Amino acid sequence: MRVPLIYLAVGAILYFALPDSYLYTLGFAMMFACLSASWDLVVGYTGQVNLGHTTFVGLGAYVASVLVTGRIGFSTDVATSIAFSILISALIGVAFGAIALRLRGYYFALVTAILPLVFMQTVFVWSDVFGGEEGFSIGLEKGIPPELRYPFALLLSFAILTLLLIVVESRVGMRFMAIRDNEELAESLGINTTQYKIASFTISSSIAGFVGASTVFYRLTVAPDLYGIDLMLLIILASVIGGLGTVYGPFFFGIIIYLLKVLVIREILQTISLSLSDDIFLYAILILTAIAMPEGVAVKLRSILHRSS
Amino acid sequence: MISVLIFGAVIGGIWALVASGFSLIFGVMRILNFGHGAIFVASAYMAIFVSKICYPLSLPSALLVGVLFGLMFYTITKPVRENEVAVIIVTLATALLIQQILLSIFGDRGLTMQPLLRGVVNLFGVRFTVMRIFSIVIALTVLIALEVMMRTRFGKKIEAVSEDFESAMLVGINVERVYIFVMVLSSILASLAGYFYVQIFSVNPELSLRALIYAFAIVILGGLGSVRGSILASFIIGYIVALTITLLGSRWSEFVMLLTIILTLIVKPSGIFGVEE
Repeated sequence: MRVPLIYLAVGAILYFALPDSYLYTLGFAMMFACLSASWDLVVGYTGQVNLGHTTFVGLGAYVASVLVTGRIGFSTDVATSIAFSILISALIGVAFGAIALRLRGYYFALVTAILPLVFMQTVFVWSDVFGGEEGFSIGLEKGIPPELRYPFALLLSFAILTLLLIVVESRVGMRFMAIRDNEELAESLGINTTQYKIASFTISSSIAGFVGASTVFYRLTVAPDLYGIDLMLLIILASVIGGLGTVYGPFFFGIIIYLLKVLVIREILQTISLSLSDDIFLYAILILTAIAMPEGVAVKLRSILHRSS
Repeated sequence: MISVLIFGAVIGGIWALVASGFSLIFGVMRILNFGHGAIFVASAYMAIFVSKICYPLSLPSALLVGVLFGLMFYTITKPVRENEVAVIIVTLATALLIQQILLSIFGDRGLTMQPLLRGVVNLFGVRFTVMRIFSIVIALTVLIALEVMMRTRFGKKIEAVSEDFESAMLVGINVERVYIFVMVLSSILASLAGYFYVQIFSVNPELSLRALIYAFAIVILGGLGSVRGSILASFIIGYIVALTITLLGSRWSEFVMLLTIILTLIVKPSGIFGVEE
């Protein structure tokens, strides 16, 4: 539990050390890290491949922004709208989990893969409420004031990192891992595996909804990139490189990968003036990583160091 | 009414080609190929590209894309076959990579190709393009050929591998060779579907994900791993889509897909003819 405090301290120092434009990007990276770390709870700890995580990010974001702008007839304040987006993400998480988690392995992955596409259709069909492909802005006055944005992202990510660590180190977290390692054995020991899988999925989805809603107040707009397949791939990339089932790995590599994507790769592409999408590089890195070291770079490095010492 | 009947059969026939391959791979190799839709779309684009240069070569070149991609997906999934997460990541990332490449070459506008057969036929007072009727005939022929092949000696080998690959290995079946064959055959089926699809509808790079959704819906309804189930399910899904499009409009089709999947999961999670994982 010392790591989150060190993280908070380093984050606070950076607040005074870095110029504002970098802080803004770093704040995004921190919120992204919460997404990959919460994804890890279902995939790395409970062993269920969830490809629909970004749906809950989008759900949280759209619920919060629709409520706060009053596009459906009434409006709420910022705190209430965030609370509602967590609640709705949790409810949909429970309902969807209860149906889909009866399936195992590939079947579950298949069904979750459809979620983001259906969500996209919903946004496009009711585009007068959800803004369709363009998305919409919630307006400057509803957002977090610029000078508070980075501290907000830092505290949010600190809280979520701590929460996730508490969960995985508790008895509940142990049961998640028991299900991942051997579901039949876990069941025969009297663990209600379906219930625990639903619990894991719901916690993870609520965090995604929370982060989605927070992102809207951070950047003031809501648009399809909040639930797209690109974001999902970036989450997978960060978690796989960081090492599944470690929380720390996906979290800190989440920050690194996000910054690399935004600051470095885009820069390189501009310098060599290639008109390729930066995603192509990420996909290529992802394929190579998954084939060469599916257990993650962090874990691989540790085992190499271990062997040589 | 009759137009819904034919339209549903066209959609059903094409998706049956995609889904039966997708399902065959799962049934035999126990892996999910998220790149299956990308093979379908890439072949369609290859056909468009080649048809402008030399029309008769468009079919062979589309099928060649299928063969090459089949071999590629076999190679990249081979080292990670035991690891579910890694298989999903590798195939999905490859699919998106292919999609991005197509996007940067062809753009995101819908493209279509000069049909192989022109003209219209009059069936019960409704006019259809010959191409639509022809695609149904071809799809059915190929699917029947697939059934017949599964009854031959080689088909029995494939079945043996899918039941228990270790025992199959013990009785002297070259399991890897069966895997390569299944992967290539499934990809060729997807290519063939892409070749016909692009002559009837228009394609854009994003279709690779949509093709996957249809394949998912079909295999979940028909039961993962059962080729016969997915053929039956394709036609059911084809008619559901045709009805949805006629009655509600095309943007509802994904909703209805998800609804079908959820209902199937609630009523019979293993699908109509599912195999145990």
